[in-house]
Amino acid sequence: MENSRRHFLKSTCALVAGVSVYPLSGNNANAEMEPDINNIKYALLYDETKCIGCNACVEACREVNNVPEGVSRLSIERTGPFGEYPDQFYHFSRHSCEHCENAPCVTVCPTGAAFIDKETGIVAVNADRCVGCLYCIAACPYEVRFINPVTKAADKCDFCRETNLKQGKQPACVEICPTKALVFGNLKDPESELVTLLKANPTERFKQDLGTRPKIFRIKAKQGEIIL
Amino acid sequence: MSAFEFDTLVWHWPIAIYLFLAGVSAGAMFFAVMLKHGCLKEKAYQSGFVIAACIVAAISVLAGLGVLVLDLTKPFDFWKILVFYNPTSVMSMGVIILMLYQVFMYAWIIITFKKPIDDLCKNRFPIVVKLTTLIARYEAGITGLLVIFSVSLGAYTGFLLSAQPHFPMWNTGVLPLLFLTSGLSSGAAASLLGGVLLKGNPNGAEVRFIHKIEIPLILGEILLMFTFFLGLVFSGGQSKVAAFNAIGVGFWGFVFWFGIMGLGLSAPLAMNLFMTATSKRKFSYVAGTACLSLLGVILLRNFILYTGQMITS
Repeated sequence: MENSRRHFLKSTCALVAGVSVYPLSGNNANAEMEPDINNIKYALLYDETKCIGCNACVEACREVNNVPEGVSRLSIERTGPFGEYPDQFYHFSRHSCEHCENAPCVTVCPTGAAFIDKETGIVAVNADRCVGCLYCIAACPYEVRFINPVTKAADKCDFCRETNLKQGKQPACVEICPTKALVFGNLKDPESELVTLLKANPTERFKQDLGTRPKIFRIKAKQGEIIL
Repeated sequence: MSAFEFDTLVWHWPIAIYLFLAGVSAGAMFFAVMLKHGCLKEKAYQSGFVIAACIVAAISVLAGLGVLVLDLTKPFDFWKILVFYNPTSVMSMGVIILMLYQVFMYAWIIITFKKPIDDLCKNRFPIVVKLTTLIARYEAGITGLLVIFSVSLGAYTGFLLSAQPHFPMWNTGVLPLLFLTSGLSSGAAASLLGGVLLKGNPNGAEVRFIHKIEIPLILGEILLMFTFFLGLVFSGGQSKVAAFNAIGVGFWGFVFWFGIMGLGLSAPLAMNLFMTATSKRKFSYVAGTACLSLLGVILLRNFILYTGQMITS
């Protein structure tokens, strides 16, 4: 009796441990190896040196995607002014979903409401599936997710997947940008403007050390001040 | 930045309450099994401490789930968590653990209280006796799985927080162990408190048995706390900043040093050692020690939840 119980406990422990670790093993490392159905992987290049902080992108996003007041999928953070008159300038930075290849929000979502669209690489939300546990909001290293006050579901930028992109247009922010500071395109297409620009310019991506592999590339503007 | 309101705060105190209640339930069930198999055997159903542990475990897990559901932005859609699963999500795995844990918990309670249940239903509902006999046949397996699932549940509350890469205080492997040990000790404390309130003998064999496990548990908790913060400091960078933010001066620093380390760990440890030395245990002493332990664990959950989210992005 005692022996069989011990044997049972041992084997069950091994089983539980195995089952609980298995799903984590195959998932992250081999994302690159997954077959691409359409050979599309969308990314965005944001040129801070061209951005003038006009907020046209913010308003266009709100209108096209029907984003309610009080929350936003996209914002431009302004710091400054830096320097002495007349050489004064501001520093602008885009704050929106980074469309991680290895997205923590997708990993933690208990219902699969947060998902990466296999056909386009876009990180999207299925609002019907979302129960509002806030796990994705806490897990996002870029703090770009929010609860939509109308649907009560988690919401964020999806490159206009359900609006402009569906109609064959560019995302609303890209379309409206007066200085062409935003370039949207397919990373898998070597002829695209996006890839050409990425090859020609030094770019930066946020918080790469977390291993999230974000797909917003930035051409940095000069620093306004020196902070250590 | 105030202690309860800041920009990077996503999960508020209901989550800490839930983490606490899940830990208490797991711990109480763990100690109920230990008491039955290590101390009381067949007479377990007569012990106020086992009764208290079972009541605490059953109510706190349900209350915890209730808090969790009410905290959703779409509480009426909670059933979707039970229907849709994501194998990479710790929360999804936790839901499975919680459900299975409850099944084995109720089965084990029925087996343990088989005699009073059978006596009650013998004449009127003979089918119940058949059922309890059927379940009791699998006692060994149910007990083993219950222990595994209660330990899993205790650790899961820590893993839930660990899965978030940019919170250095959460994203560490020590956290689940810390939550497991503190959850077990809170379960022990809740069982002791409930037991003496249900007229259990404060100087009985059960109290001695639990205290014997509780002392090394508290020592282990202090050691894990030490490992936790030293690990953060040695990791450097944001981890180090987060550690010193949490245990340095300020509201949460006070909660940590006075509330958790002082009232929650040192005081119960001293009182446990004193009780072991004097060998006479009184109601007020057992109840007081248990209350301090519970307070310490509630504070620890809130402390980790809030300070963990205080990051500079």
